[in-house]
Amino acid sequence: MSTLKIENLHVEVGEKEILKGLNLEIHTGEVHAIMGPNGNGKSTLLSTIMGHPKYKVTNGKITLDGQDVLAMSVDERARAGLFLGMQYPQEIPGITNSDFLRAAINAKREEPISLFKFIRMLDKNIEELGMDENLAHRYLNEGFSGGEKKRNEILQMKLLQPRFALLDEIDSGLDVDALRVVAEAINSMRSDDFGCVMVSHYERMFELVQPTHVHVLVQGQIVMSGGYELIEKIDQEGYEWVKELGYEIEQNERQPIILEACGKKGQ
Amino acid sequence: MISEQLLTRIKPFIDLQQPQSYYLILSSKTSSQMHLPQDVFYQEGVLTFKNKQPVTFYMIYDGQEDLHMDMHFQAYCQVDLIEIKLLSSQCHLYKTMRLDEGATVHAFSENLSQSSQSHEDVYLEAYASCQCGYSELSDDAFEGVYHFYLDGVEASAKVRTAILAKDRESKHYEILIQHNQPMTHGQMDNYGVVKDQAKLVIDGIGTITKGQHGSAAHQTNKIMMFDESCQACANPYLYIDDYDVQASHAAAVGKMDEEHLYYLQSRGLSKKQAMQLITYGYLMPVVEVIDNEMMKKHFEESLSKVGA
Repeated sequence: MSTLKIENLHVEVGEKEILKGLNLEIHTGEVHAIMGPNGNGKSTLLSTIMGHPKYKVTNGKITLDGQDVLAMSVDERARAGLFLGMQYPQEIPGITNSDFLRAAINAKREEPISLFKFIRMLDKNIEELGMDENLAHRYLNEGFSGGEKKRNEILQMKLLQPRFALLDEIDSGLDVDALRVVAEAINSMRSDDFGCVMVSHYERMFELVQPTHVHVLVQGQIVMSGGYELIEKIDQEGYEWVKELGYEIEQNERQPIILEACGKKGQ
Repeated sequence: MISEQLLTRIKPFIDLQQPQSYYLILSSKTSSQMHLPQDVFYQEGVLTFKNKQPVTFYMIYDGQEDLHMDMHFQAYCQVDLIEIKLLSSQCHLYKTMRLDEGATVHAFSENLSQSSQSHEDVYLEAYASCQCGYSELSDDAFEGVYHFYLDGVEASAKVRTAILAKDRESKHYEILIQHNQPMTHGQMDNYGVVKDQAKLVIDGIGTITKGQHGSAAHQTNKIMMFDESCQACANPYLYIDDYDVQASHAAAVGKMDEEHLYYLQSRGLSKKQAMQLITYGYLMPVVEVIDNEMMKKHFEESLSKVGA
């Protein structure tokens, strides 16, 4: 069993502190759901674990089986078994999907994978995910629809077989059928050697991929942890009740749209 | 006789022993070696293509002195042209290509010259179409002036360059597509990588003269800089003298995209591997103008020079 442990994590973006002493422990065999209102640090947490240069850790620790993750470069983290399914995957022109995927698989191996084995593995996964057959020859994410990009993230996860997958709103941009396919793919990965942290706003995703643990992240901290019942509560009541726990919710104020020049001026 | 030295240099691209290998090796005004297919002629410095069937032709410039080359593609012929430039230091190549009505030429040019210059003018008649890929990874300074004149209705030119300037090399390219008739189409994509103390200037020029309605002039110029000490300049020019046209230009000079690097690294590729892959993707599309495995393979191997 592997353990990804986050202790008292403080993270800044620019001058602003986003994570303010976050604690979380995940073991392989578990699926953790992280919910919370927009702008409270969910994506920041996942990107910090992966090592995005924009996020500055000012205090705290992240360890993977006792190894200091924060001391590792981004690619070392990946090779250590961490994977981030991104909310907004990059489009990189000129690099074909198959060149990229093969390079990524080989990065983790001592001996490069044989072309034949790679193609067989790729074709099988492309078919299971219901993706475009020409995908291998298309440029990495270039001109992909939102749903195709997300499926491509899942494809990479399946090929790279990480120990811990961090999935950042992997369900956004997916239609119901695609959502089911992606959920099946995640479920097929579940085992005692695989742990997962999922960020999503929607109960539907967690119905299909049932989490073992659920956390609510507000104001840069985990304010409550529990089981599936938390998801149902949030789905029905939103996050208003969090205020009763003594936390302010930072949200962009909703402003009504005012039509001026063409409004009912003068009446 | 073709010298051993030359044979070794062109070996990665063409096997001259093969009966289907058609070529012309131009060494000076008076000296040339050739194996021409049916309906292709070389007389008084003019290479004329009258072929009815599509032809793949190798043109090798092995210049110890200034070279002149005129090519004439007659109406509706189709040619895949592979050019290898082996110009010696301070030699100039002066080249013209004339495409008659409906001629289609796909040209890939591999530049392996020493410090030299090439001036190329391409004239296209009605419905003629030319796709040109310039692989400019040579290990010395270079000046390339590539002009395309769309002189007939619906003529089209598509140009792609892949340039590497490294060490102390200074390279300058001027690519012009001039629209002299209505409904003509021009597109250029100039991509460069600069490193060390090298200097690279790309001037991309699109000109649509008066009365050439329905024409389109598009261009992209991008230069990626690897080091603080290199210099790069991408200048897009559009001279438009008609209203009913489409035109666009883009120019960018900068470092490699950090987000791209992060994305590839997050999949386990080292920074060096990620940089290589991005550079590869940046320059590689130049070989897509022709379908030739040997050229592709050689270009791929040459890319290791980028040494990202």
